[in-house]
Amino acid sequence: MQIFAKSIDDFKTDRKGMSPPLPIYLRIVPMLFYLTIAASILLNGLFFMRYIQAGKNKETALIRDTQIQADLDGAKKQRKDLESETMQASDIAAWLNASRPLQPLVVEIARSIEDDSSIIELRLDRDADNPTQIRFSMRLSSDSAHQLDVTLKKIAALRFRTFSPQQTMEKGTIDYKATLIWLDANREQAEPAPGS
Amino acid sequence: MTLRDILSVLNFSAFRPEPDDSTAAWKRRFPTQRTALISIGRATLIWRGVQRNGRPGAGDFLRGDPKELLSQAVLPIKDAVDAGWCAVSLNTRYVISLETNLSRRPGSEEVIKSNPRSVLGARYERGKRYAVTHSPETNSSILLTCDEENIRKVETMLREAGLQLGRIFCGTYLLLRHALSQTNTAKGGDKPASFFYVICCQGSVCAMVQDEDRWMELRSRTDAYEDTVDPALELLAPFDQRIPAESEIVLVCDTLMPEMAAGLERIFNGHKITDLSQPDLLWTLAAQN
Repeated sequence: MQIFAKSIDDFKTDRKGMSPPLPIYLRIVPMLFYLTIAASILLNGLFFMRYIQAGKNKETALIRDTQIQADLDGAKKQRKDLESETMQASDIAAWLNASRPLQPLVVEIARSIEDDSSIIELRLDRDADNPTQIRFSMRLSSDSAHQLDVTLKKIAALRFRTFSPQQTMEKGTIDYKATLIWLDANREQAEPAPGS
Repeated sequence: MTLRDILSVLNFSAFRPEPDDSTAAWKRRFPTQRTALISIGRATLIWRGVQRNGRPGAGDFLRGDPKELLSQAVLPIKDAVDAGWCAVSLNTRYVISLETNLSRRPGSEEVIKSNPRSVLGARYERGKRYAVTHSPETNSSILLTCDEENIRKVETMLREAGLQLGRIFCGTYLLLRHALSQTNTAKGGDKPASFFYVICCQGSVCAMVQDEDRWMELRSRTDAYEDTVDPALELLAPFDQRIPAESEIVLVCDTLMPEMAAGLERIFNGHKITDLSQPDLLWTLAAQN
């Protein structure tokens, strides 16, 4: 004979509305609930940290951007200054190239004058806009055009080219006007300014 | 669905049996709470706390009118419990008897609580509550009959004392069931066993003769002994002539009682005596089952 142990017989008056316990597998519902809360807290924490990190990164990027912008502005200013300086230097170089010393020219002109001739008036004007061009005017006291030819040869020997020459001769006086342009052997010769 | 229902799901209490759910074991109802077990006799009140690990804790043994004793003991009992829940062992106004030809329909041992007439038939009496254990081999049944008025009185007494009642049971019947399940373990009827069960529970005595798996005789008496076990032994002495010679004496007491084992040895000389008693056995069984 086998008699099994069983639950204790209870004589108490049963309460109405007593419900049996829920099935064990339904424990997954509160477990999922708590899991969701834990995951939410974890993810929110993670996202919050990332948000703070992103804010710091943005701040750093803004600072870096400002710095780069400042550097760029400085570089632009330096470039502008350099360009301006370069332009000035170019102008100066051009001016230096153009403004050759006129003393040799004057000396050669004076030396070219022969005994029977003399210079009444000599004028050399440098054009402010085109310093390479020199307005040359000379009044000679000479009976012939020979003196003028000699003088012009001397001028040409100094690599000055004449443009728009105007010559008048009257009673032993020769008036000569031209535009002189110095020819640089290393550079292409610029055309004379119109009307000069 | 109320907020309370939702909260009970979220704190997992909805997955545990309710504290007064009689179908659930005590340790399942209160897995992490301290409770108390109270034994109420005719003129005695014994209580023990149950710790969170399910083991019996501190307690007290009081003599006098149970109602007055409970009003005295309620403060230490409340100190020993977490939410006021306690179980009561009735040690008076019950009868354990041997019946035959009770209804053996499936589930009759459970149905007897809600519909005792369907199981007991003409033997049903109004104003009584019953529990039954059927013999699997014969048509005999052990019937426990409790006085409903006494049960309601106990319920009212505890409610007035501010305690919550989780269970009312009969300690002697519980120990008898324990003895039967511990000794009748052979499957089928191949090895019929003969036992003489002696149950002692806080002054109550119950004796049952089992002859080759047949329950022959059962005697139960409450308040049979107090300070010495001699009155109980006097009640048991006549069985010496009636039990089969090969019968084994099975002694189950609510706690260790060496004087009872010695007395049985003296009376039932020549019979093997098996003492299943353990310290705090009644409290342990009540707290575990």
